[in-house]
Amino acid sequence: MKSIYTVFTLAILFLLAGCKGKSDSTGTLVLTFVPEYDGQPLAIFTTKPYGNDQLQFSHLRMMVADVAALKGASTEVLHDIEEINLTFDNATEAAAGYELRIPNVKVGNYTGLEFGIGVPADLNQKQPADFPSSSPLSKSGNYWVAWSSYIFLRIEGRLDTLGQGDFTLGFVYHTGADELYRVLKAENLQYQIEDGKETKFEIAVDYKKLLGDIDIKENPQNHNPSDIEYIQAITNRLASAIELRY
Amino acid sequence: MNRSSVSRISAVLVVVFMVSWWSCRDTIDNPRLHDLEHIPWKPIAYMPPVPQGYPVLEQPSDNIMTIDGIRLGRKLFFDPILSIDSTISCSSCHHPDKAFTDGRSGSIGVAGVTARSSMSLLDIGFHFQGLFWDGRSDILEHQALLPIEDPVEMGESWDRVEEKLKNHPDYPTDFRKAFGISGTAEITRELAGKAIAQFQRTLISGGQSKYDKFVRGEIFLEENEQNGFWMFFDMVDFLPDAECGHCHNAPLFTTTEFHNNGIQYAPVSTSYPDPGLGAITGRISDYGKFKVPTLRNISYTGPYMHDGRFKTLDEVIDHYNSGGQYSPGKNAFIYPLRLTEDQKADLKAFLLTLNDTSFLSNPEFQSPF
Repeated sequence: MKSIYTVFTLAILFLLAGCKGKSDSTGTLVLTFVPEYDGQPLAIFTTKPYGNDQLQFSHLRMMVADVAALKGASTEVLHDIEEINLTFDNATEAAAGYELRIPNVKVGNYTGLEFGIGVPADLNQKQPADFPSSSPLSKSGNYWVAWSSYIFLRIEGRLDTLGQGDFTLGFVYHTGADELYRVLKAENLQYQIEDGKETKFEIAVDYKKLLGDIDIKENPQNHNPSDIEYIQAITNRLASAIELRY
Repeated sequence: MNRSSVSRISAVLVVVFMVSWWSCRDTIDNPRLHDLEHIPWKPIAYMPPVPQGYPVLEQPSDNIMTIDGIRLGRKLFFDPILSIDSTISCSSCHHPDKAFTDGRSGSIGVAGVTARSSMSLLDIGFHFQGLFWDGRSDILEHQALLPIEDPVEMGESWDRVEEKLKNHPDYPTDFRKAFGISGTAEITRELAGKAIAQFQRTLISGGQSKYDKFVRGEIFLEENEQNGFWMFFDMVDFLPDAECGHCHNAPLFTTTEFHNNGIQYAPVSTSYPDPGLGAITGRISDYGKFKVPTLRNISYTGPYMHDGRFKTLDEVIDHYNSGGQYSPGKNAFIYPLRLTEDQKADLKAFLLTLNDTSFLSNPEFQSPF
């Protein structure tokens, strides 16, 4: 009889030990942002065709905010803000991309992903001096005084207008201001976060699609929110230029 | 007492003596281990005032600013004891009345002239993206150590500097008061670097420039200054964009980043006369990039650029107005601006509103000797 009670007690203890901490089990979500041009990894200073001209990119960055995992109707924000630097020296580095690792994501089955391109309004009303040096929002280079806004997306480079390999015409497209903040959502995904494991997604940003048919020669500099046509067009193409791969 | 008892007592005494000798041997061999403990150590934390609109002044947790730490750092900053021939101090290249530059294209060291001009230390405590023109140092505590062993600048070794400091009549006491060390033997280059960093973190703009007063709503700018302000930050449609704010953003008037501003011609990425940041990171995209200096107190920090090639502000403005020279990594903001002579003059007028003589004459920044 005593031995039965002992076995029963041990069984209860093992059961409790097994249950304890299961709700605390977490995994890591890994989002790898990859710059591309017409489907190929994009390195800076590499010549790409653009209409009848050719161009080279020199600086590619964007802010990604409120990265969230979707579980049915519920949304769990996992990461508030990240400056994604897509300026890579060669195709190998570009293909490897910028890795955003989000640890401590609760184990479970999820149905979607969501993130913003830019800085959400509540953060965008602040200024660099309001943030510690560890935050990308502390960098004054990410803020534009004239807009009273952070810079959401940067596309910078040079165009060869004469076809002689002289990339002399610089182009700069910076988006910003609250009305150009966009949330991208991928629903109807089915993925798991498993205990102690990584769940990976690749997010490809195709800059050929992003530029669309902008006439760079006509308007190479567009970083003024009062001159919004081109940056509005870029912003409107975000959803079609960014592809989630799982 | 029999012979065995005497033997046991003797053995115990020998053991006691051996243990005592072993624990005290360091002191006997090295009296510098505890020679400062009689000096009181009462650290008083200090946070310098920061102008409105500035970020919080951060400091590393292992080097919190104290009054005595700053005092020691200031002494070391102005003391030529750090150089091999005792002729060159940090202040030899960083003069307070020149916003901590020296007015030269290349600075004079113990063994010649440096290849690059000295950078202003104004607001240096707010820089977190790399120090020196080429970003080779991450933090002030490390940056302070490098010029001492540079063969051109100070030409000394830290081993010898440590001995000089230990043998000095005053520095052991100063280090005790700053860092609470027990003995002279604990004076190290790391502590010296920390002290200098503490002093450098106090070198903050006084917030009394005309621009600062304008931002606070205390004054208006003159019309030409206002025009320059608008062009600097591309604030209005009826004036051209001078593209300055992209790299020289407020409130520090530097983003503290590294950029290629087109002063060097380079047909290919690896042909820059001075590779700048690229020599440190090895990244093609970093070749030709240099740290963006502050424009505060700009009248006092010439000559301009990493090699001091421009002697006047007019030359600087003309450079940017020209669109600079070709190189693959030239920043896309560098292109012919086509400013008129009046617009260039207005831009210069705005730059002059960034001068703040209260910083230059602050008694806390002057030599204590």
